[in-house]
Amino acid sequence: MTLFKQLSILVTLLLLSIFTTVLGVNFQNSAKSVQDQLYTDAKNTATSLSLSLASANGNISMISTMINANFDNGTYQSISLVDMNGQLLYERHSERKIPDVPKWFVKYIPIKAPIAAANVSAGWNPIGLLNVQCDTATAYMHLYTILYSLTISFAVVFIVSLILLYMLLIMLLKPLKNIRLQAEAISNNKFIIQEKLPYTQDFKEVVQVMNIMVKKVEDIFNHANETLRHQSELLYKDEATGLYNKKYLLNKLPEYLKVDAQRPDGICMMIALSGGAEANQALGRELVDKLYVDITTMLKRQAKDFENSLVVRMNGTEFFLLLPECSEENALSLANYMDHGSTILLSKDLDEKVTFLSFGVYKYHHTQSIKQVISASDYALAQAKVIPRKEHVYLHKTVSNEEIIGKEEWRKLIKFALDHNTIHFDTYKVLNIKSGELVHNVLSITLLSESQKYSYGHFIAPAISLGLDIEVHKKAIEKLLKEPPFELKNTICSLRLSEHYLDNPATYNELKSLFEKYAKNLSFKLIIELPDIVLAKNSKQLQIFKELFENYNIQIGIFEFIGEPRDYNYLKELRPAYIKAEVNYFLSQTNENLSSLQVAANSIGIDLIATSVMEIEALSTLKAHKINMIQGRATEMLG
Amino acid sequence: MILRYIILFLLALTSAFTEVYVSQDILNNVAKKYNKFAENRFVNMEHKLEGLKDKTTIIKLNTVNTFFNEVSYKSDMENYNISDYWATPWEFLARDAGDCEDYVIAKYFALKYLGIDPKQMYFTYVKSTQFKEAHMVLTYFETPTSEPLVLDNNNHFVLPASKRVDLTPVYNFNGDVLSASAKKANQKTTQKWDELILNIKKGKI
Repeated sequence: MTLFKQLSILVTLLLLSIFTTVLGVNFQNSAKSVQDQLYTDAKNTATSLSLSLASANGNISMISTMINANFDNGTYQSISLVDMNGQLLYERHSERKIPDVPKWFVKYIPIKAPIAAANVSAGWNPIGLLNVQCDTATAYMHLYTILYSLTISFAVVFIVSLILLYMLLIMLLKPLKNIRLQAEAISNNKFIIQEKLPYTQDFKEVVQVMNIMVKKVEDIFNHANETLRHQSELLYKDEATGLYNKKYLLNKLPEYLKVDAQRPDGICMMIALSGGAEANQALGRELVDKLYVDITTMLKRQAKDFENSLVVRMNGTEFFLLLPECSEENALSLANYMDHGSTILLSKDLDEKVTFLSFGVYKYHHTQSIKQVISASDYALAQAKVIPRKEHVYLHKTVSNEEIIGKEEWRKLIKFALDHNTIHFDTYKVLNIKSGELVHNVLSITLLSESQKYSYGHFIAPAISLGLDIEVHKKAIEKLLKEPPFELKNTICSLRLSEHYLDNPATYNELKSLFEKYAKNLSFKLIIELPDIVLAKNSKQLQIFKELFENYNIQIGIFEFIGEPRDYNYLKELRPAYIKAEVNYFLSQTNENLSSLQVAANSIGIDLIATSVMEIEALSTLKAHKINMIQGRATEMLG
Repeated sequence: MILRYIILFLLALTSAFTEVYVSQDILNNVAKKYNKFAENRFVNMEHKLEGLKDKTTIIKLNTVNTFFNEVSYKSDMENYNISDYWATPWEFLARDAGDCEDYVIAKYFALKYLGIDPKQMYFTYVKSTQFKEAHMVLTYFETPTSEPLVLDNNNHFVLPASKRVDLTPVYNFNGDVLSASAKKANQKTTQKWDELILNIKKGKI
């Protein structure tokens, strides 16, 4: 129970007891006052009536007439006259009237009307005692009205006091609420610093200590972030030209060569400077270095027209240009243009037959492997270097993979799956190799036709080219939320969403409406995986997705992480559950780089998961690098 | 002077064994607050009352009436600066002044001390035809129906009511009688009477 609730109950009980006591005391006083008034009235009547009776000179008939007159015109319980020996001379007594108040009131509030006495004389002699008792019915009604008014006014004052005290309590405990939020944030690895310190000394000290603690953790993250960025730059960048290096290319290529790549093909262009040694001798090292920078500038200028293009320095003399969605024709004209332009860059002092630029052009397809693409590009460059032509450009034509299934057939298959709701999920494990425990299940969308099952890798490329991938994602999520497979109950599952699907303007509202309908009481915990590049570039825009997910206790995860040299503050903002990177990424990192990534991730509670772990041999290396969670074929071998 | 000390000594001695009308505390307080004359009046009263204990009722009535009638008349306004006040016998005697109610009260309690049944005595409101004003006397009834004897501060003689043609009775009041009736119902008597009893208990001087 929170302190606020405890104090609220205490305050309510305290107020209730105070008001009940005050009400009781007030009512008792009123009851006593009413009783006193009954006596005073009776006493006054007794005295004035006894004075009047003195004029009757002891004549009983006159006395009884006078008593009758008084009794009938007043509200009395009884009036009696007794002689000096205590013998009753005359009496009037009224039947007890039932007062116009609830029965319980009469039962629990006994009012006894007091009897007042006065001496009665006849001339010099006293003749007896007159006793007068007032009627209690009026007193009951009067007292009931008092109780009613008191109860109403006390209830109003009680409610108003309660509201005011609650407001005061809320105001006083507001810092505590903030402290609780801060504590929760700390346990969720979030950094909240309370700038406004509470007025209450005790709270103030707690907040100051918590702020210091949060600041320290934030400093650890910031330091690790800075180190990681610096280390990544050292690891991935060529110092002389500022271009990315071959290591970066190898880690980056999977983003272009994946089944659901947004741009299915493009051009790889390998450029090499022949006669570098001769140029060094003729021009000197400084001028040659400048020449490389000029070549870099030229390549960058040509590449900038292509979205997501990549310029890489492979080694001292070779460059790599990756141009997504570029045709062979365009690539050739671009290569020729740069070949001609290079003559301006190369000094007249150099022999153009010895020192020249060669351009090997190769059209890649996203279904190819990294090895295939690099080998083919190498081959194209090798050919370009040796062709006996003035233009040193060579296009290496690939034999395109024949599509077993035609485009229209794919359309029919996918439409069938969408219309007949035959979308299903394959599950793959993510394991903790240290403890052997299952971390979560990775869900992969599959389509069922009338006779065959098509995996995500199989159908997604045609779906993208047919513009049906968004619909497939939407239906898959709907199916997962609406009819989750029974075996997923009480498990943690992850589902990848593609960049294309997230870019779709309707996606947010569609997800929101699906979550509202089906995600309120999910039988399993869901983690939505998003590509690292999308999160890094659009962290602000993705906040709304994160907030939407959080409303339904859905976390986000990151995949395709390659540790680009950048600011990693988006990790702090979006707070993913984990980061997934290819096993090769982890294995190719320096110790410093990996250590910085681990410190940054640990400081905000993010797990690191190696994907595409195919061989069991890699596990020991990963363990040595403290990467204990894996995904890939190796998990099947582990069991 | 020597006689005074002897009397005081004897009073103190007797008070140790018998019930006295005026306690030593009251005596001390009177001496302190007022003067020696006032104290003497109290000593004198105690002496007088002690001497009456074995006497007949009529002697008691006459002696008490005469003794207190020696006190000067003074209205409550002059005496206490209030329009109406029922003084305790101690205040009355210490100040050596009072109005008609104060004479009645002093006589009533003195006679009660001397063994007269309170039920036989009444504070009687009368109209004085001589002075044409409201007046109060103490009346004594041998029996409830017998003619009362009137103890009046304006008259040194205790006379039967029939001899007091200058007085017209209006109302009889006896606090003790009313108290006995009120006590049964745990109630008060009258404001004046209750206040007077309280002041007497407190020994107000």
